[in-house]
Amino acid sequence: MFFHIVLERNMQLHPRHFGPNLRDKLVAKLMKDVEGTCSGRHGFVVAITGVDSIGKGLIRDGTGFVTFPVKYQCVVFRPFKGEILEAVVTMVNKMGFFAEAGPVQIFVSNHLIPDDMEFQSGDMPNYTTSDGSVKIQKDSEVRLKIIGTRVDATEIFCIGTIKDDFLGVINDPGASA
Amino acid sequence: MSVEPFNRLVKLAARAFYDDIAMKGDNQPKTGRSDNRGMAVVVLDALTRRQWVREEDLAKDLKLHSKQLRRTLRFFEEEKLITRDHRKETAKGAKVYSAAIAATSDGQPVGREGEEKIKLHTHSYCCLDYAQIYDVVRYRLHRMKKKLKDELDNRNTVQEYICPDCGRRYNALDALRLISPDDEFFHCEKCNSELVAESDKLAAEEMGDGDDNARRRRREKLKDMLQKMEVQLKPLMEQLSRVKDLSVPEFGGLQAWEARASAAARANGDSAANDLSKASQGQGYGGTPMPFLGETRVEVALSGVEVKEEDSKADAGANSMKVLPPWMIKQGMNLTKEQRGEVKQESKIDSGLSAPMSDDKKSKVNEKEDEKQIQDEYVKAYYAAILRRQQEQEEAAKRQQKELENKISALNDVIDTPNDRQVGIKSKRDVYEREDGVEWEEAPTAGNTSETYKLNDLNVEAEASGDDEDEIDWEEG
Repeated sequence: MFFHIVLERNMQLHPRHFGPNLRDKLVAKLMKDVEGTCSGRHGFVVAITGVDSIGKGLIRDGTGFVTFPVKYQCVVFRPFKGEILEAVVTMVNKMGFFAEAGPVQIFVSNHLIPDDMEFQSGDMPNYTTSDGSVKIQKDSEVRLKIIGTRVDATEIFCIGTIKDDFLGVINDPGASA
Repeated sequence: MSVEPFNRLVKLAARAFYDDIAMKGDNQPKTGRSDNRGMAVVVLDALTRRQWVREEDLAKDLKLHSKQLRRTLRFFEEEKLITRDHRKETAKGAKVYSAAIAATSDGQPVGREGEEKIKLHTHSYCCLDYAQIYDVVRYRLHRMKKKLKDELDNRNTVQEYICPDCGRRYNALDALRLISPDDEFFHCEKCNSELVAESDKLAAEEMGDGDDNARRRRREKLKDMLQKMEVQLKPLMEQLSRVKDLSVPEFGGLQAWEARASAAARANGDSAANDLSKASQGQGYGGTPMPFLGETRVEVALSGVEVKEEDSKADAGANSMKVLPPWMIKQGMNLTKEQRGEVKQESKIDSGLSAPMSDDKKSKVNEKEDEKQIQDEYVKAYYAAILRRQQEQEEAAKRQQKELENKISALNDVIDTPNDRQVGIKSKRDVYEREDGVEWEEAPTAGNTSETYKLNDLNVEAEASGDDEDEIDWEEG
């Protein structure tokens, strides 16, 4: 799920950036530092949408670096248990398949794949129904439900299922090609 | 607050969950005799008729070895069914206790007294924790159902993987770390061998890997299991719902309970109860300076039939203790083995009565030895036999009475809830047949009585073992 929230961060700025556009430099550095990171608490930071306030800088002893407390708005993405996501399959193997929904990786184990789909090995390993009408392989798009998340301080990993109504392949690049 | 519904709950739970749990002996060989499955049920049943009880006393009442009982109780403590309290009795308390012992079993060697003083320093007490039992049983049922249901529709189950080499377990959440760059399988982080998916724990036995048919079969099996569980545990669930709105009997901690008990005893106006130590000494073999022994009596009046029954049983135990010593001591003079003595004696007399020929023969053979001694022995044995016979008759009468009582109570139970009882029995039998048919064959009588058969069983077994010894002795002599 996506959230638009306000976060705070202490930015350290090198003295060489001190000058007329110190503020721009600060925001650029903030974006570079923060976007794409993941915190267990808030999820993945997708984009910074604005900077609310920049507090008074404090010059550190010895280094000359200045610390600014910055408040900024950002969009975060955090997967939840029970959430339905659309994801792209990145890898298929005997154990199941891996998929990516934006920054988050999802593993669907083979017992959470419908019983009528069977694993076919080969150079394009895939899961196929017995009549061959539905195929899950690399780059397939699937709709899945998250049934478990592992949230570490800097990492979020999910496991999902496609064994439910309205879940499964939503478009098959192999069929159109 | 009524204890009865909760006791019923405990009994049902005991039969449902702890019926075939064997306490593992450390170094005992696994023979038919040391097979103590069902002991857990007996112990729990006994506890429903008591409040706080000293574990040694309980062991004595149940005729179990205290070590065995302690093992069982520790198990129940881990299962959160009972609370235990250990406390060091003061040296004075131990002295009074050993004095009481000496008084009841007159003529104990002094050395043993001292030994006991050391041994009995720490006493353990145990008591059912009804509130917790209610929660534990509910939670257990909930977990069972959830597990089955989850596996049934394969929902919310996190696949587990296990390393065949080092036995390390992973689950699907570790998947990202486990994929190896070389091939498409999961590899153990430690020994780099290929992981295998742990197939579903309950119903995976005969299924081939990922076979379509097998999955369907497994599904059916799970569904079957779930249904069976619903049916078999129905009495338990009904009892749970019956108990739900009742206030839970609460005995408090050992100290609090004791204080309350002594207060009650004092309020009772019992002249002996005023002086606690005196009162407890009057109690006989259980006579530590524990006020709660008096209290048991008070509770008896409150909580009806079952407790009373137990009390009488305890009295019987005391009686037999008192009767035994005189001729046990005599026995000790003749034969050095104290415990076997009684049994041997009986067997001798029996054979003497039934087949005097053999005895005569024997006496002829032994004529050169002191005849008088033999005669003496004979007379003594004869007296002992008479005593024994009387005792047996008494016991038989008592047993009959008890059986009658048991039957009545069982009948009451049946009347109480005829339907679910029937169902419960049936289902239980089902379980037995599937899991341990052997035990069934050993004790075929156990099926017909409902609540009390375990107790009866215990008696039967004890006697049988006595007979065993009997025969062996006879052959030796």
